[in-house]
Amino acid sequence: MKGFFSLPGERLFHVATLSALGFLLLFFVGIISSLATYTDWRQFFSILFSKEILFAIRLTLFTSTMATIISMVFAVPAAYAISKTNFRGKNIVDTILDLPIVISPIALGAALFVFFNTSLGRALEGNLMRFVFEVPGIVLAQFTIISALAVRLLKATFDSINPRYERVGRTLGYTKIKVFFKVTLPLARNGLIAASILTWARAVGEFGATVTVAGAMKMKTETLPIAIFLNLAQAEVERAIAVVFVLVAIAVIALVILRRFTSRRQTS
Amino acid sequence: MISIRNISANAGSFILKDINLEIKDGEYFVVVGPTGSGKTILLECLAGLQRLRGGEILISGKNITPVPPERRELGYVPQDYALFPFLDVRENIIFGLQPKKISKQELEKKVSSLANLLSIHHLLDRNVRTLSGGEKQRVAIARALAISPKVLLLDEPMGSLDVRTAKYLRLELKRYHEELGITTIHVTHNLIEAEEMAERMAILHMGQIEQVGTPDEVFFYPKSPFVADFIGTPNILDCDYYNDIGHGLIEAVCGGVPIILPHHDGPVRKLTLLPRDVYVTTRTPPGPGINRFRGTVMEITPFSSLIKLTIKVGEINLLAELPQDIFEEMDIRTGHEVHLILKLRSLRVY
Repeated sequence: MKGFFSLPGERLFHVATLSALGFLLLFFVGIISSLATYTDWRQFFSILFSKEILFAIRLTLFTSTMATIISMVFAVPAAYAISKTNFRGKNIVDTILDLPIVISPIALGAALFVFFNTSLGRALEGNLMRFVFEVPGIVLAQFTIISALAVRLLKATFDSINPRYERVGRTLGYTKIKVFFKVTLPLARNGLIAASILTWARAVGEFGATVTVAGAMKMKTETLPIAIFLNLAQAEVERAIAVVFVLVAIAVIALVILRRFTSRRQTS
Repeated sequence: MISIRNISANAGSFILKDINLEIKDGEYFVVVGPTGSGKTILLECLAGLQRLRGGEILISGKNITPVPPERRELGYVPQDYALFPFLDVRENIIFGLQPKKISKQELEKKVSSLANLLSIHHLLDRNVRTLSGGEKQRVAIARALAISPKVLLLDEPMGSLDVRTAKYLRLELKRYHEELGITTIHVTHNLIEAEEMAERMAILHMGQIEQVGTPDEVFFYPKSPFVADFIGTPNILDCDYYNDIGHGLIEAVCGGVPIILPHHDGPVRKLTLLPRDVYVTTRTPPGPGINRFRGTVMEITPFSSLIKLTIKVGEINLLAELPQDIFEEMDIRTGHEVHLILKLRSLRVY
């Protein structure tokens, strides 16, 4: 161990860590920019504004926004409960909520698909609305993938709130429910926005569960990731690349907004 | 009157056991104890923020044990003040008045009177993140007082302040207490703060009350070895006789040691002095030889980061304290002769 912290050793350590960083950066920038070499820029905008791609953009924005809203409606109270309440079996519940993050989306999609072939699933489809190979199926698939992520992100936000704020709120005449709305949620505001952006971005890019439940039907269940899949399958590489650029642009915008809120949270 | 009867509470692995206290109306009561003694939990039990395992709490004869915190009407100032960062100073102060749905005019009147009392008029439109520690404390007290509470609960209110600000704010807290006459329960780990603020105090140790009394009673008549160790056992000197030596001074002779102190009405039977107020030096101190003595080190006892020295002066044994690093620098051993200076202002007469 002698000399481990000596100057040459430290320098070597810095070089090694920065090299790894540089390699990853080059790798990602490389694969994205390689797309540009395949793009015919004269055709790019006509592809981008084609009926099919505009449909895919609209459908993706609609379904991912719906899925995000629905998942936040469930995730906010669920994350609060798991963060602030002690109950028997909390660790098991916590682990179950982590499963959708770890399990492959296509496996979850398959589970949903099988569910709609059970009597309960068929009853739901018959009496409520159709999910399999339909737009609500896309929303459901995206919800399945992102809700656990939303709970995980929001739990971290609620965990970081000092309970003293809520205690003071109680002594100032607010019931537990009022404290949640008047103290906890305003304190969690930036975390809520950050979690919404991240889960929304994850829903925009969702493919595995969506294709299993809603199928890959042109101009019907064609979200942006499915549009890439369909166009590549038909060897329409330039169309596929145009869609990749749309997804990259959405991701960049989401990350810029996210950075604004997370940096504000760090300085607060 | 607040009556705390046999209350017990569990907070994680910590247990508060059979606490009994009677706090008079308008009293400034301080709960003091080392870190982890259960002071904050006791305060949270009073505020209704901790579920009791047993016992009851009565305010003016009414049992408030089953009353939820939002209906107890107790003003609570937590450690680090917990001002809401998403509200400005004015909004923080009126936060507790909003559920009461009072008129805008009344709100403004209340804010104005609290701002006058606490001298925070100039801060009302400020973002709370930009306030200093002392300013935050005053805003937190204003927020707690806004709901016109029956009792004010202060949890380590000077904990995050520098020494000078804390000293100033202790005086300010005394002034608010005198002006409002509100029953105040203040918890702290700081003995000097407790001694300065308390009308009566309780010493808490490992979830149990060790002693309750006025600061003088606790400081000079500790009831348990823990209290004696915690406050630093005082030197209690029995005086043989005393003479008026003019110039507003008297000379009290205790165990053959002549001690000069300011004139005192009434007889001088005992003098008391805390070990921390006995200065020890190995060199002859400069200046006049009043209240400066030579003594022999009889015993050296390490205690936490301090070294306690028993020093024989005349016929009396004086207890002194030294920080460990200074003790090591002085290289004092048993049998060595040292010089002592008694801090005149800290001498108490009985």
